[in-house]
Amino acid sequence: MSRFLFVVPPLTGHINPAAAVARELISRGHRVAWAGRAETLRPLVGVDAEVYEAGDPALDAVLARSRDRWLGLRGAGALKFLWEEFLVPLADASRPGVETAVDTFRPDVLVADQQAIAGALVAERRGLTWATSATTSGEFTDPYAAMPKVEDWIRERMAKLCRDAGVPESDLRFSGHLVLAFTSAALIGAADRFPGHYAFVGPALNARPDRIDFPWPELDQEKRRVLVSLGTVNGDAGTRFFATVAAAAEPLGIQLIVAAPDGVIPDPPPHVLVRPYLPQLELLPHVDAVVCHAGHNTVCEALAHGLPLVVAPIRDDQPVIAGQVVAAGAGVRVRFARSGVDELRAALHTVLTDSAHRAAALRVRSSFTAAGGAPAAADRLEKLC
Amino acid sequence: MSLPDSSRLLEDVRVALAEVMGDDILLAVEITRDTRFDDDLALESIEFVALGEYLREKYGDRVDFAAFIAGMELDEIMSLTVGRLVDYIAETLVAV
Repeated sequence: MSRFLFVVPPLTGHINPAAAVARELISRGHRVAWAGRAETLRPLVGVDAEVYEAGDPALDAVLARSRDRWLGLRGAGALKFLWEEFLVPLADASRPGVETAVDTFRPDVLVADQQAIAGALVAERRGLTWATSATTSGEFTDPYAAMPKVEDWIRERMAKLCRDAGVPESDLRFSGHLVLAFTSAALIGAADRFPGHYAFVGPALNARPDRIDFPWPELDQEKRRVLVSLGTVNGDAGTRFFATVAAAAEPLGIQLIVAAPDGVIPDPPPHVLVRPYLPQLELLPHVDAVVCHAGHNTVCEALAHGLPLVVAPIRDDQPVIAGQVVAAGAGVRVRFARSGVDELRAALHTVLTDSAHRAAALRVRSSFTAAGGAPAAADRLEKLC
Repeated sequence: MSLPDSSRLLEDVRVALAEVMGDDILLAVEITRDTRFDDDLALESIEFVALGEYLREKYGDRVDFAAFIAGMELDEIMSLTVGRLVDYIAETLVAV
């Protein structure tokens, strides 16, 4: 039996894959503890889980206030915001709590989410064996190759974090012991170009409790069905996008099942079923395609069900992941802010009727299954002990 | 080639942006030298690539948009304006 400490940011999409791996480790008789914001963690990892508070409620409040500004950002501006107003303050605020968790829980292995940099810092400082948990592969393919000074800027931010924590400078995004990537070669492209300590285990989806009510009888069995999710609603541009997708789908005889807050789609037409939250994993077996912003989790969940995608990336890693979907042949990319009805209608028509996209999505699904998911991640973590 | 005229180049960039982003952008935004790619146009990454290709086809390999961006700091990329691109194209064409 070994002891694993998971260090995570207060982000559901980053905690869920780690939670699937943690459940697998527990089922094998290991002990697991968590360091992060208890408020976010508890509903996802269970009330019985051992949770060490790390982070700062005041930081949550600052982030909540700056959210509107974040929604207006793209590209370089979003990257600067991510590091200066989220990753670095989160690392600073979380480090004491992670140190306490290590002192108390005494883990054999620390698993640090790629955005929970405090985990990497504390592991390095304490000489612990640690793994990176990368819930998106956006950072893997040198996304700033075309902007070398941007990569330098990121490295300066990491160097300062290292100096402040008293550890030698290193790339805190990637552990030298093990990097768990919840994707596979069929999506990211030739995985063998990465070092051997990079483990491409595919998505870890199993047994996520959704517990979201859904009006199942309202699914239209006569129509093809498409799930639409933008993760976070993105202001006016999001409202425009939803309206455009709805208009695009109507003459195609498609039912849209849309995740959007109340009021974003006023008076939805009969072919549009809107709910603030969707039980996404339960719904995917009942739809024919997915429209999304190319967030890594939603993309992988769709592909794990062999579903082709229309991707409309907005910011962060999304353009990179959208590029992966297109390169894999499993989807069509549209422009989030500017695609018109015709462009979206053509994209929907293509992914629903062109067997090549469906075949490519099924190929990615097979690759995910072969990669092994949470059990494969647990295998690799056990080997670190 | 005669010396490039800055106002003609600005018009060229307007046409390039309409090509890459769709004609609607000309109605939505009055594109001047001060127009920012990030804040005002919200140019998407795929559109940056298309803009680079369009400019290379129009002016030849000397106008290397990728190299232009590669030399920039994060803050410069964030505040990149249409005017700066016009100046870059003008400098590149003069340098021949």
